[in-house]
Amino acid sequence: MFDFNHSNLDENGNPGAEIVSRIHDRFGNFPVHVQKPDLIRLNVPQTDIIPLLSWLRTETPFVQLTHLTAIDWLEEDEFELVYLITAPSLCISLMVCIRVNREKAEAESVFNLWLQAETYEQELHEMFGIHFPGSPRQGVPFILEGWQDMPPMRRDFDTVEYCNRTHPERPGREHHDSRIYVGRKFGEKGYLK
Amino acid sequence: MRKFDPDRPWDLTTLPTTMAPKGSKPHAPTDDRCFLGAGDVPAAPKLQEAVATIKNWFRASSLNVLAFGTGCGAIELRPLSTSRFDMSRFGISGAPSPRQANVFIISGYLSTKTLKRVIRSYEQMPNPKWVVALGSCTINGGMYWDSYNTIKVLDLYMPVDVYITGCMPRPEALIAGFDYLMQDIKKGEANGWHHYLENLEWYRDNQKKVITDWDLPNYSW
Ligand code: SF4
Repeated sequence: MFDFNHSNLDENGNPGAEIVSRIHDRFGNFPVHVQKPDLIRLNVPQTDIIPLLSWLRTETPFVQLTHLTAIDWLEEDEFELVYLITAPSLCISLMVCIRVNREKAEAESVFNLWLQAETYEQELHEMFGIHFPGSPRQGVPFILEGWQDMPPMRRDFDTVEYCNRTHPERPGREHHDSRIYVGRKFGEKGYLK
Repeated sequence: MRKFDPDRPWDLTTLPTTMAPKGSKPHAPTDDRCFLGAGDVPAAPKLQEAVATIKNWFRASSLNVLAFGTGCGAIELRPLSTSRFDMSRFGISGAPSPRQANVFIISGYLSTKTLKRVIRSYEQMPNPKWVVALGSCTINGGMYWDSYNTIKVLDLYMPVDVYITGCMPRPEALIAGFDYLMQDIKKGEANGWHHYLENLEWYRDNQKKVITDWDLPNYSW
């Protein structure tokens, strides 16, 4: 393990420059976006994710999987998986992002690197329908019970239609489109007339 | 069971106190007197009425709220039950288990997953029992009207005795709601539990429509 410390700053005072250059040396030139000095975003091809994460986990201070979540890019027909990897000793986080196909949504499990990934992957399977082969508890209900429709966090899941179909409404309820209602009541700019 | 004896009208043991749901049997042999069966002869109407009035008067000032919070409104129950609003002034107190409670406050939105637990707890509460529904979510869905996971109309799934509007209602509103509930109990009109037992099939149908993995017993005694 080589040392990282706060003295490894680039000319802009950016503490993550060292790790970015190491990753570039080792895995090729991924697009990098420094969102904040302590939050760096990497867009990685799907094939590189396991080598990159196992290298981060075993040979760098980036030992903690803080979060694993997904974004549904419906128009591009892709899911983006976001792994938030933190170095507790440096207080820097890496957002490692990969894109997976939406039709055949499948990604490699990182359960072997971080045990807690099991729960994240179980949830992603339930809420987005992304399959992680080899991860335990895939398909075991996590939050939903007896769910029979498409995974509800996919953007093409029509919540209102589902809701009207399953949960009856009490007659007499009025709906106000908030933009029109507030506009009428408070004027265009949102001030009280 | 002993039949009503006109010569001994003071014998209150012949009065039915609770009912069993239609077509169901209690799981353990119980004193028959607890269940209104075909062979029961009701007590003299005047006496029955008088006894019921006295009982209801007692009941109205002994409300035990089940410690079960479902939505945001559950946060209002803490100030209500503690020093600031102090619901024990009105004879209302908390109860940790459904077996010891007789008021169920549905404190807001109810997801279908929680609905199952609510039904189970509600049925375990001893009769007579009352349901207070808190907040607009229980009335018509409130701001969760388009959520895939919350029910919108509570009284399709369980009987509701008092609705309290607001999002969220303040503890004063809750106290006002309890006031209505007490008046209804004294008048003998808060009979939601009775309605539930009599229309159990209708409630069950509605419940099974939203709880797709139904695994509750016929009735949770
Ligand atoms: S009525 Fe308002 S406060 Fe109550 S549960 Fe619904 S959203 Fe929350």
